[in-house]
Amino acid sequence: MPVVNSIRRLLPVLGVALLVSACNRGGDSSSKPTVALVVKTLNNQFFIDMEAGARAAADSLGIELVVHAPEREIDVERQMQIVENLIQRQVKVLLLVPNGSKEIVPAVLKANVARIPVVAVDTRIDAATLAAAGATVTSFIGSDNEDGGRMAGRFLVETLGGTGMVAVLEGVPGHETADARLRGFRTALAGAAGMKIVASQPANMERDQAFNVTQNILQSNPGITALFACNDVMALGALEAIAAANRTGSVTVVGFDAQDDARKAISEKRMGATIAQNPREMGRMAVITAMRLLRGERVPAEQPVAISLVK
Amino acid sequence: MSPRRTVHRIIAGREAGTALGLIVLCVALWIATPYFATAANLSNVAEQSAIVGVIAIGMTFVILTGGIDLSVGSLVALVGVVIGSALQRGWPVTGAVGLGLMAGIGAGAVNGLTITRGGLPPFIATLGMMSVARGGALMLSDGRPISGFPDSLRVIATGHALGVPAPVVLMLSLYLVAYVVLTRTVAGRYLYAIGGNEQATALAGVDVRFHKTVVYALSGLSAAVCAVLLLARLNSAQPIAGIGYELDAIAAVVIGGTSLLGGSGSVIGTLIGALIMSVLRNGLNLLGVSSYLQQVAIGSVIIVAVLIDMALRRRVQRSFR
Repeated sequence: MPVVNSIRRLLPVLGVALLVSACNRGGDSSSKPTVALVVKTLNNQFFIDMEAGARAAADSLGIELVVHAPEREIDVERQMQIVENLIQRQVKVLLLVPNGSKEIVPAVLKANVARIPVVAVDTRIDAATLAAAGATVTSFIGSDNEDGGRMAGRFLVETLGGTGMVAVLEGVPGHETADARLRGFRTALAGAAGMKIVASQPANMERDQAFNVTQNILQSNPGITALFACNDVMALGALEAIAAANRTGSVTVVGFDAQDDARKAISEKRMGATIAQNPREMGRMAVITAMRLLRGERVPAEQPVAISLVK
Repeated sequence: MSPRRTVHRIIAGREAGTALGLIVLCVALWIATPYFATAANLSNVAEQSAIVGVIAIGMTFVILTGGIDLSVGSLVALVGVVIGSALQRGWPVTGAVGLGLMAGIGAGAVNGLTITRGGLPPFIATLGMMSVARGGALMLSDGRPISGFPDSLRVIATGHALGVPAPVVLMLSLYLVAYVVLTRTVAGRYLYAIGGNEQATALAGVDVRFHKTVVYALSGLSAAVCAVLLLARLNSAQPIAGIGYELDAIAAVVIGGTSLLGGSGSVIGTLIGALIMSVLRNGLNLLGVSSYLQQVAIGSVIIVAVLIDMALRRRVQRSFR
């Protein structure tokens, strides 16, 4: 029976595999409560910073933290699988940055059924979809984008001395994050009578579209002295269009997100300011919220994370 | 056939190495974590394997004939968006799903025709379709996801039959049909013949071009079924869905012992291959292994599985000499 012999020869391999996994068990059965943080992807600095903040907090609080993410930021289904697997692992709290605000809801429902509290971090989970599915999210931890928009607006009012013609590059129409920034920005400008928004157009958060839209705005409103873009990617596109029109320095550009390229442009005096979010703080607050939930405490439904102006 | 010969056949079968791999993996995880071998988790893993498992059926057919289909991931998105838009326009669920399945078959048939009539290599033809279908999905949906579907559609993902999740029932039924077609029908045998030696098969009077076209249409159909599953699961149709699914499906087929050169392999192997990938991902999540290391682990398993399979097969061949 040579075939059976060949199988028999594989048995030691099987034995080794069993031994290895048996050793592994010791590490898994620690008495620390396990909390999971699932982010959009771990190849984006924003989420790597968030993980670092969460890990530091977990270490000091004595919480076992597991961090997972799909390979691709757009992979909603894989993120759903990760959440399902973590439910099976019986994690005590699920801290979740959803890849799809609506698509993740069936997984949130599964966590609810398993009595695992879900805390949304950075990106909101769609309230209407949650309600339709009968699912609940315990808390939201994220930047107050509206406040960031106000901050950007106040900076422009101060810099321009209260008078000026302003252009705005909007994000994807209907996208909550950019809309909130825009609301805040408009509120800040409404308080300054001399500041006027003369053009406000969407450039869908993209650099090349921002370039084209800004070129058009410079044609139709050559008098603008300031421009607010709902993210840095668009702000950088606008800077290039302004440079191409030989207007660098005469238009103060403000962005959002504090990307490295934007910080560099600010230090080179090509750009006015940007708004920095704090992913590290989001991670820290998320783990602290998990700790409070583990202790049976109530947590606020909304937990804004401080943001700051970079100029 | 004597019992001993039956045992021999099973051990000597293509699936032996892969099945052993799955068993070792499961036993190791069973010991390593108390969360693995629970009824709830096993049903969870089976459900998760359905998405790629279904596409991998069509991919097995294609690879058996010596071809490849890179377009399936994009077809998942296109079909999803077709069904989503039809539902938004007030189509009934059956009509919308029917339209989606037809779209999948149609796109697959176009692949088949450009390969068999146009003479394009399968890699090029389906690479082109991959881009065309993705662009089509984006155009049709304006780049936005379409969400919120009726429960009669969602039951495909959320329902159960005798405690087994509906996606698993669907996947297993399709595997059964594919198994019967490949092993018990003349057309099935032709596919192996085409993959083994296409010219000889043509000379033997088989309409190779027709059979190959049908195979790509079936691959499009299995992508469309996967789209329905995904749509029901996420309650949303996304134009960017399914990116990389073609590679997952190819991995499942290859882990399952089907030769990329065509002519040898089986759908049972593919099913086991798809299960191995899901079990591994599930196990690594349960063990809290870092996301970066998980990718290394999955890649390594693909390589090791094929190595073991080849080694086992060589031994089996020697023992029969």
